[in-house]
Order: sequence, then structure tokens, then C-alpha cells
Amino acid sequence: MSGGGGAKKKPTKTQGWEEAGSEFYQESYPAADGELDVFQKDPQHLATLLPSKQTRAATIRMRTSRGTNDRTMRRQATLRSRRESTAPRRASATNDVQVSMLPDFSENISNEQTMWEDINQIKSMPIPMAQKRELKSKILNQPNWRLQGYEQFKWKRRKLWKKFRDRISEAYDNLELWKGDLKKIEGYFGTGVVSYFLFIKWLFFLNIFIFGIIFTFITLPYILWEISNPSFYINNSSQTCSETESIPTTIMDIVQGTGFMECTYLFYGFYPSEVFTYQINSTNFDYNFPLSYILVILICLIVSLITMVRAGAKDFKERLIEGEGQFYLYCNVIFGGWDFCIHNTKSALIKHQAICQEIRASLQSERIEDEKKNRTTSEKYKLFCIRFLVNTVVLGILILCGCSIYFIFNKSTDKISELSRNETLTSSEIEKLFYEFLPSISIVGMNILIPFIFKYLIVFEHYSPLFVVKLTLIRTVFLRMASLIVLYATLYSKITCNSDSCKSFTICWETHVGQQIYKLYLTNFATSIVLTFFVNFPRSLLARHFNNKFCTLIGEQSFDLPKHVLDVVYSQTLCWIGCFYTPLLSLISVVHLCAVFYIKKFSCLVNSKPGGPIYRVSRSNSMFMLVLLVSFVFAILPITFSISLLIPSTTCGPFQNIPYVWYTIEKLFADTPYWFQSCVSFLSTAGFAVPAIIFLLLLSYYYTTINAANRHMVKVLKNQLVLEGHDKQFLLERLSMFIKQQQENQKRIRRIEMAQEADRNRSGT
Amino acid sequence: MNKILQYPELSVNPFGDRICKVFSSSQDGDCTFEDFLDMMSVLSEAAPKLVKAEHAFRIFDFDGDDMLGVSDLKKVIERLVDKNHLTDAEIQDVIENILEEADLDDDGALSFAEFEHIIDRSSDFESAFRMRL
Repeated sequence: MSGGGGAKKKPTKTQGWEEAGSEFYQESYPAADGELDVFQKDPQHLATLLPSKQTRAATIRMRTSRGTNDRTMRRQATLRSRRESTAPRRASATNDVQVSMLPDFSENISNEQTMWEDINQIKSMPIPMAQKRELKSKILNQPNWRLQGYEQFKWKRRKLWKKFRDRISEAYDNLELWKGDLKKIEGYFGTGVVSYFLFIKWLFFLNIFIFGIIFTFITLPYILWEISNPSFYINNSSQTCSETESIPTTIMDIVQGTGFMECTYLFYGFYPSEVFTYQINSTNFDYNFPLSYILVILICLIVSLITMVRAGAKDFKERLIEGEGQFYLYCNVIFGGWDFCIHNTKSALIKHQAICQEIRASLQSERIEDEKKNRTTSEKYKLFCIRFLVNTVVLGILILCGCSIYFIFNKSTDKISELSRNETLTSSEIEKLFYEFLPSISIVGMNILIPFIFKYLIVFEHYSPLFVVKLTLIRTVFLRMASLIVLYATLYSKITCNSDSCKSFTICWETHVGQQIYKLYLTNFATSIVLTFFVNFPRSLLARHFNNKFCTLIGEQSFDLPKHVLDVVYSQTLCWIGCFYTPLLSLISVVHLCAVFYIKKFSCLVNSKPGGPIYRVSRSNSMFMLVLLVSFVFAILPITFSISLLIPSTTCGPFQNIPYVWYTIEKLFADTPYWFQSCVSFLSTAGFAVPAIIFLLLLSYYYTTINAANRHMVKVLKNQLVLEGHDKQFLLERLSMFIKQQQENQKRIRRIEMAQEADRNRSGT
Repeated sequence: MNKILQYPELSVNPFGDRICKVFSSSQDGDCTFEDFLDMMSVLSEAAPKLVKAEHAFRIFDFDGDDMLGVSDLKKVIERLVDKNHLTDAEIQDVIENILEEADLDDDGALSFAEFEHIIDRSSDFESAFRMRL
């Protein structure tokens, strides 16, 4: 550097600093030494070196160099959640070298329990089987300490318990009901529709449970008691039941639930109001039958409520989490769109189409949103008027339906009593049957026909497609429940009336109500069979074998999920209402649900053609539960009403000669010790209720505040994340500029050096 | 690989070849029995969400740079819609929307952390990313 002089000294100063900087940079990433050259050529790729981008690379690298740092592995393994574990993992990536050089004492302290936990943790790692096996053998080969005393016992117990649980779940998997059917449906229609079938399965098990309880605590005790006291049975049966001989009347009775059916375990009226006494080894056991009857019904209802809420809450939570990220719409479609269960070419094609449709639809809905904002006021008013009009029409239809059911019911009961008076006519049997079933048939018929009108009307209202599905569902639910309510009201008016015309009604009204529900249930069942096999099946055949437009128009059908959900929910509602009046309706319902599974499978696989709207699992699950809960409330209202207010019939049933059914519980309460009574009566005073309500209000206020704060926090954190991202980008840009500059400098230095060399050579020569 | 792709679920899956590649230990799409076991264990119902997310990320990451860039997303979308062609503008729109939704640090690609964030929020992913045996 002789010939250069002062002019060239200036750049070397900064350059020296830069060199130091680059050295520092290289030092901090010793592992990335070779990679750095690549990045110097293309500084934009620097981003991949960032720790946040490194997590995955780091984990993989760490796994390959597992032998050297088992401790970090353990640290990672013990931390359950990923988010927590990224921090130490990131640290471990840079500290790789240091950790491996230190003698690791913590490793030796591992005992059997931690080892076992580690082995279990390996299962949840995203690495191939061979590596897992290697890891496991490594952990097994490590020296470890045996646990002593109680610790040993505790660990052994945990191990056994886990093994037991695994075994149970495995066994359950093998026994899983309808597994093959579910797989087949899934292959054709995707997971959304399968969730409906899982819902049917869930209801099936719920009903089995209800039936189990009712059978063991109501029917079985009675049967046992009947066997030991045959004399009572003879007395009882001669009282209320009419004997039947001929076969046609027997069939009629089975269908209508009258005649000898009244004297079976199916109906309320058959059960006695006695306290059963069993003699076992000459000791007497008392069984308060009326009390157990009401308690069992209550338990059934409460259990179904709890299971429903629990199942619903799980999905609801997921929905909430998802709802928070409403903006993940596109990501969901792209990353979660393909159903990996689909296994035939045809439905795969359709799935492709559906995804494409969905993408287009969401792009379009964005445009519609924009349009909505640009709507003029006159258009708004017009739309508002139309919606108002349609809603009034819907309400009118509902009221009309209610009135007609009331009218038909009255008419048919009048006719029946008229027909039964002149029993000489033999042809009246068919007529009587017709009138018996007229109310049920008309209710079911309305349930089928009116939704079509709703579907037609909703087109005028211009809602978004998702909202359309919800609104039709809500309206249909109201239709079904309204018809049920009218039925209750009519029955109620019959029960409470005292005139001669309805005397026959009040003799054993619970059984009569049970018969009505039983008939409705059967009609519902029959219609679903008829509709599926005799209406929809020919339609689908028509569509498949004739290729003209008309046939496809009437024949083609897609699997309309909301409608089918309503069918099932409706029958479940009937089952709940009926469980008080016809205890063994749950058995019928178990059979029914089992049949429904196959009926719906048929209508799904054979009648409908795959495609139509995509149903999201989470969304549809929460929808099922919501509809079920609403109908549960509708079912529970009349039961509580009749239990707490209506006078039970005096000649039959377990609750003869008491003012109301709830009185049984009150009597039991009066028998309890004094302190208990005073405690409970204190709970119902204002002295307790007011503070309790205030406390609950405060508690809910507290939780809403926490909720709001958390929401705010999420927002703040998200902003921070975005800011950090910007910062990172800014720094990266600076860094890449810096590297470029450095490269240029190096080039310049090289040039200068070359020039100097040339100079020297020249001066040398 | 061709033999494995005859498995009905994989044969119709638009990402069938990618799945084979991700799980094959020889990196060329051929799977040993153990690789197949791996695949099924990840795609089973019991596999934790994290494991599923990790493998899904690898499946979607066509160029293997540990980032879901614009080109990766484009390939994913094209495979998803198959023959029903979306116009380039539409695909571009969708990609922009995805990045707007999920790309928290604005670097024009999804890192695994960001992808995991999406998966955490998506309740359908877990039920969709599995096969019934």
C-alpha cells in the first residue's frame, strides 16, 4: 500500500468496520457458514434465515443431531404446547454447539417415569416411524433411576390406567356401529353429511340410555312385582281393558294404541299407584313406584339436557374460535377444503366443482357486499317492505296451520265418538281409523308441504345464501313446533272440559295423550318410509334413466341436510314429550332411529345425487344441537305443565287420588328431616335469592369484562405482530442493502488490490 | 408410487403424489410399508393437530423452501379446482385474499407459524385431513 496515499485511506476505514460487522454476523451463525455464500449472491433469501422461519428447519436439524443434545429434546418434550416450545427450541438451535459441549448432568437424573413420558411424547412428533423407533431405543438404553416407594406405585398406577384406557378405546373402535356405512357415505358426500349420520347415531345411543333407565326402574320392578302378586294383575286388567279376539281389530289396536295395547307396559294407564313390596329371604323391600316413576322421567330429561349441552358446547366453542377469525374464509376453503375421505372419482369430480363454486361464490359475495353498501334508499325501502310482507305471510300461514289443526282435531274426535256410538256398522271401522289418524296425517302433511311454500317465498327477500338456509330452518322449526303446541292446546281443552260430550276423554286422559303421541310418531315414521321409497326413489329413477329436461327437473334431488335434520329432531321431540305418557316410547324410538339410519342412508346414496351445497362439519354440528335444544324446550314445557298443574286421572296410572303429580315429590320432601326442609325453604326466600341473583349478575359482568379485555388484547397483539413484521422487513432490507454494499466494497478492494499488484509488478519490473 | 396411488382415497386426491413424496423415506414418492404406516397414522383420527398441520404444510409446500409462497398457493388452488378453470385474475384474487388473511408479517408468503395459526382457527381441517380405514 505504498502508492495509494491518503485518497484511498478513507474507504478502508468504513470498510474495516464493515468487515468487523460481517465477521460478527458470520460468527453468530456458525452453522450457516456455507449457506451465507448463497445469500450473498441473493440477499433476498436472507429471510429464510430468520428464527421464525427457522423453527421447522431447526427442529429437523435438531432431530438429526439428536445424539448430542438430548437435553433440549427432553425440554421440548416436556413442554406440551407448541407455542411454548418454540421458544426453547429456537434457543436450542443457536446454542446447539454450547449445549453439546457441556457435560449434561440432568440427563442422568431421569427416572422411569420421565422416561415413560418421553416415550409417550415421541408418538406426537411429526417424524417418520424409523426415527421414532430409534429415539425410543435410545431413551430405553439410557441409564435411569428406579422410582422408590409411593412414587413407584403412583407411576405404575398411571401407566396401568393409560394402558387400560387405550385398550378400552381400541375395543370401542372395533365395535363401532355402522362404521362401514359411514365410510361409504363419507366417500360420496363428504364429512358434512356424515356428521348428520353421526348425529343420528348419537341420538340412538341417547335413546338406548333413556330406555335402559326407564326399563330398569319402571317396567322391570312392575313385572317382578306382578309375578309375585298375580291376584292384582287379574283385578287390574279387568278394570280398564277390553278384550279383543279378531285379528283385524288386533292390528287396528296395535296401530292406534287402543284396546289391548292400552293394557301393555307401553302406556301410562297400565302402571299401578301402589308401593311395591318384594319378599326376598323373608325381608321386605319397599319400592315407592309413583315416586320412582316421576324421578326416572326427570332424570331422563335432565340427562338428555346435559348431554346435549355438553355436545353442543364443544362445537359452539369451536365455532366461536372460528368466528373470531371470520377473515380466514379463503384459507379454510383452500387448506381445509379437500376432504381426504373421498374415494371415488365421481364425487371427487363433484368436489372439485364444489370447491371451485365456493371460491367463486365467496369472491362474488364480496362484490355483493360492495353493492349492498351502494344501495339507494328507495331500493332499501322496497326490500324492507317485501321482507315485512313475506314475514307477515309466513306468520299468517303458521296461524292458519294452527287453526286448521285445531279444527281437524275437534272434528275427528266428534266423528269418532259419533261412530263409536252406533257400533252396528262394520264399514265404520275403516272410517274410524281414518278419523283416528286424521290429525296426525294432517300435521305430518303440513310439515311436508308448507316448507315448499317457505322456500318459494324466501327467494323474494334477497338474503345471503347462508342466511337463507338458517331462516328457512328457523321457520320450519316454528311450523313443526306450532303444530305440536296446537295439539297440546286442543288436548288440554279436551282434558279440562266437563261437559258430557267429552266425558269419555277424561277417564284416563294420560293414556289418551300417549296414544295421540304414539299415533303421531307412527305416522311420522310411516311417511318417512313412504316418501323415501315410494316417492323419492321413483323420482331418482326417472331422473337417472330419462335424459330429458322435464324428468331431471322433477327427478333430481340433492341431500337437503336441514330438512333431514328436522325429521330426526321432530321424532326426538315426540319421544321426549311421550316419555311421561308412554314410557316405552323410547324403545320404539330406538328401533325407529336404527331404521332411520338406513332409510336416510338409502335416500342419501340412492335417491340424491352428490353435490349441492358444501356443509361444514362444525357449522352443521352446532346447528343440529341448537335445533335439538329449541325442540327440547318445546317438549319440556307441556310436561312440566302437566306434572305441576293438571289433575291426574283418578282411575288409572301411578298418580291416582292426588291433586297433581308433583305432589309426590312434595310428600317426599315433607318426610325429610327438619333441618333439610328449613335449608331448602331458606333457599327460596328473598333473603337468599336477591344476594344470589346479584352475585350471579356480578359474576357474569366480570366474565364479560374479561372477555372484552381479552378481545382487546388479541387485537393489540395482532397489531404488534404486524408491526414486528414490518420492523423485520425493514431490518432485512437494510441488511441486504448492507451486504450488497459490502460485496461492492469487496469487489472494489479486490480491484484496488489487483491494481496495486499490477502497480507493484510494474514498479518491480 | 403408482401402486400406492391406486389406493382409492389417494387416487382421487389432488395431492396424492405430494402425499406420497412427503411420506416416502427415499424422497422419490415410493413408499415402504413403514412409510405407509406413517401416512396412515398421521391421517388417522387420533393424530394430534400439530402433526397433521406439519404434514399438511409439507404437502402444500411444493418447492420445499419451508414457505408457502405465491407459486405454491397457485399450484394448490389449481389442483383443487382441477378442470373447472378459474381465470388467472380470479386465482390472483384468491391468493391476495389468502395472504391478506393470514400473512401476518407481510412478506408475501406463509411461514409454518402462520400456517399453524390458520389451522388452529379452522375447525374443519382436522375432520377433513384424515382417512377412515
